[in-house]
Amino acid sequence: MSQAEAATAAVPAPVPRGPRPRTVPGVLALFRSELSITFRRLRTLALLAILAALPVLIGVVVKVETGGSGGGGGPAFIAQVTQNGLFLVFTSLAVTLPVFLPMAVGVVAGDAVAGEAASGTLRYLLVAPAGRTRLLAAKFCAALAFCAAATLTVALAALATGAALFPLGRVTLLSGESVPFGEALLRALLIAGVVALSLAGLAALGLFVSTLTGSGIAAMATTVGLVITVQILDGIPQLHAVQPWLFPHYWLSFADLLRQPMYLDDVLRNLGLQGLYTAVFGAAAWARFTARDIAA
Amino acid sequence: MAVERTNPVTGDGPAADGGGGPAAPYRRRKAVRVLVPVGVAGLAAVSVGLVPALASGGSPKLPRVTAEQLVARVLASDVQAMSGTVRTTADLGLPAGVLDGGLPGGGGFGGRAGGDGAPGGADRGGAGAGGGGQDGTAAPEAQLTRLLAGTHTLQVAVDGPDRQRLGLIDRLAEYEIVHDGTQVWGWDSRTNRAVHLVLPAGHGDARQGGSLHGGARGAGPFAGGRVPATPQEAARQVLGAAGSTTAVSVAGTSRVAGQDAYELSVRPKGTGSTVGEVRISVDAANGVPLRVRVVPAGGGSPAFDVGFTSVSFHRPAARTFAFTPPKGSEVTEHRAAAGDLPGTGPGRPGAQRQQPGGGVPGGGVDVVGQGWTSVVSLRLPAGADEGPLALLKGFGKPVGGGTLLHTRLVNALVTDDGRVYAGAVSPQVLRRAATGGR
Repeated sequence: MSQAEAATAAVPAPVPRGPRPRTVPGVLALFRSELSITFRRLRTLALLAILAALPVLIGVVVKVETGGSGGGGGPAFIAQVTQNGLFLVFTSLAVTLPVFLPMAVGVVAGDAVAGEAASGTLRYLLVAPAGRTRLLAAKFCAALAFCAAATLTVALAALATGAALFPLGRVTLLSGESVPFGEALLRALLIAGVVALSLAGLAALGLFVSTLTGSGIAAMATTVGLVITVQILDGIPQLHAVQPWLFPHYWLSFADLLRQPMYLDDVLRNLGLQGLYTAVFGAAAWARFTARDIAA
Repeated sequence: MAVERTNPVTGDGPAADGGGGPAAPYRRRKAVRVLVPVGVAGLAAVSVGLVPALASGGSPKLPRVTAEQLVARVLASDVQAMSGTVRTTADLGLPAGVLDGGLPGGGGFGGRAGGDGAPGGADRGGAGAGGGGQDGTAAPEAQLTRLLAGTHTLQVAVDGPDRQRLGLIDRLAEYEIVHDGTQVWGWDSRTNRAVHLVLPAGHGDARQGGSLHGGARGAGPFAGGRVPATPQEAARQVLGAAGSTTAVSVAGTSRVAGQDAYELSVRPKGTGSTVGEVRISVDAANGVPLRVRVVPAGGGSPAFDVGFTSVSFHRPAARTFAFTPPKGSEVTEHRAAAGDLPGTGPGRPGAQRQQPGGGVPGGGVDVVGQGWTSVVSLRLPAGADEGPLALLKGFGKPVGGGTLLHTRLVNALVTDDGRVYAGAVSPQVLRRAATGGR
C-alpha cells in the first residue's frame, strides 16, 4: 500500500490535491460517517431489534417451562439459568452465536460495499477525497462496531430479562465454584468482547465478498450462505483435519471463560483464527476494491 | 490509490478507474495488489505450520541417566501439589456404539460414554456429537468412562493424597470431581446434579482413582476399569506392573508442557501382550510423569495418550478443594464402601448398572496369568444373555466357543458358557486362558 502510494507520488500529480483527511480527525470523520450510515439504516435497526427480542423469548420460555429442565436437554446452561439470571446472557449468546449473530453480521458486512455500488452511492463516496483504502478500513471498522453492538444488544437484553425473571446473586461457575455477582458480571463483559471479536473474521469475509459483486443482495446471500455451509462442514466428523481452520470452529469456546481457572487455550486459538481471517480476507478485499472499476 | 488520480470522475464508463494513468505503473500497482493478499495468506500458512512445530519440537540436552535412576526418580518424587491442564486421547479402535450401548461390567471397561462415538474425531471433548449420549447421571464412574473414546481436556489440581480436583471440560459444560478427605463430590454443570460420597474414615490413603473407581485390581497396566486420569496414576500403574517381564529403558528427551523431560520406554519382554510400548515422559527436575503414551503392539498412533499441556507445581489454593453443592442442585447421597459404587442416579433405564449383579461384583473375578499377559475372568450373572450381552455379541466376531471383542489394546472373549475373559493380550492368550481356566 505504501509502495503504491509512493508510486503515485512519484508520478507528477495531474490532480490538484484537495484537503485530504489523512489526519486522525479526518479518518475519524470518515469512520463516523460510515457508522451513521450503518446504524441509521432501517435494516440494521430491525436486525438489532430481533437480536434483542431473542433473549426475552428464551427467558420467558425457560421461566414458563421451569421444572421440566431435567436430563440436560435444551439450550446450554439451562440448568443454571433458573438459578441465576446472569446465565441467560451466556445462554442467549450460545444460542445466537451459531446462527443469528453471524447472519446479522453477514447482512451488514455483505452490504457494506456492494449495497452502495448497487444504489449508486459508492461512486459519489469515491469522489470524496478519502482514498479507497481508508474507505475500506472505515467500512471494516463500522462492521466491527456492528459486531460489538449486536453482541451487546443480545447480552444487555438477556441481562435485563434475566434480572426481571430470575434471581440474581452469587454466580456458580461451570467448575462449581461460586463467585460474587460483580466478578461474574466482569466475566460476562469479557465474554461479550470475545464473542464480538469472534465475528471479526466473518466481517472481513463479508467485506471481501462485498467487493466482488455490485449487487447487495447477492453479497449478503453469499456471506450468509458461507456461514451456513462452513458450520455444516464444521459438524461433519470426517473433516476433523480441516475443522480447526474453519472460522466458527472455536466460537463456543467463550464458555471456557466461565471455568475456574479460566481455560484460555481455545479462546486464544479462536482470536488468532479471527485475526488470520481478518488479515487474509482484509488484504484480498483491499486488493479487489482498490483495483475495481466502479461502474455504477 | 488509483482513485487519487481519477478523483475528478467526470468520465463515464467502466474505464473511469485507472484508465487515465500510464500503463506501466498501473501494471506494477496491480501486481502489488495481487501480491499483498497472496503474501499475507502465505505468511499465515507458514506461521501456522511453523509455530506448533517450533513449540513442540526439540529435545533438550539433559545429563544422561539410566533407566533405574529414572524409575527411582519417579518413585522417589515427593511432589505433592500440582495443577494444570491434561489432555487425554484414547484411540482404542472400539466399534462405534459400544461405549454407548454399555458393555457388561467387569470386562474392565464397562459403562457408557458420552457423545463422541468416533475416537479421535472430536477436537474438543464432547464436540463430536454435542454430548448427545449423556443421560444426566452425575456418577463419577460413568463420566470418566467417556475418557475411553476421543480427545478430552481436564483441569487437574492435586494437593497430596487426600485432596484432588478434576474438571472434565465439555463444550459449554464441565463435569467436576472434588475429593477432600472423606468427602467426594461429583457435579455435572449440564444437569446441575451432584453425587456426594462419604468415604469411610481411615480411607485417607486411598488415591483418587482407588476411591472413585471400584473394580478388580491386577491384570495388565490399566486393569479393573480404572481410567488413568492423571499421568501420575497411569505411570504408577504401569511401573507397578513392571518386573522381570518388562524391559525399561531411557529413550531420549523431550519437552512436555514447557518442562524438560526424559522419555522412559517400557516394553513387555514376552509375546502375547497387545501393548507394544509404554512411553512415559518424566519431568527432569522433579521426577513427575508428565505424559504417558500406550502404543499397541500393532503399531500406529497411541491407543492412550495422557499428558499435561500446561502444569504448575505450586500448591493450589485451599478453596480449590472446598466444594459446596451449587444452589438448586439435585444431590444424590451415597455412603460408599470401597468397591461399591454409586451410580444409580436417575439414569437411563436399561443401563448396565441397574442389572442385578451387574457392575463390578465383589466375588467371582479371577486373574489368570500374571504380568503383561494376565487375563481377568468372571462369570456373567444368569440372564445376562439378553440385552447388553446380545449387543456385545453383535459387535464381536464369533470364534470357537464364544465371541471375541477386539480392540487395538484390549481383547475380550465371551464364552458360550457365560464367562468373560478380558485383558491387554492377544486373542490366542485369551483362548488359552479360557480353555485352561475352565
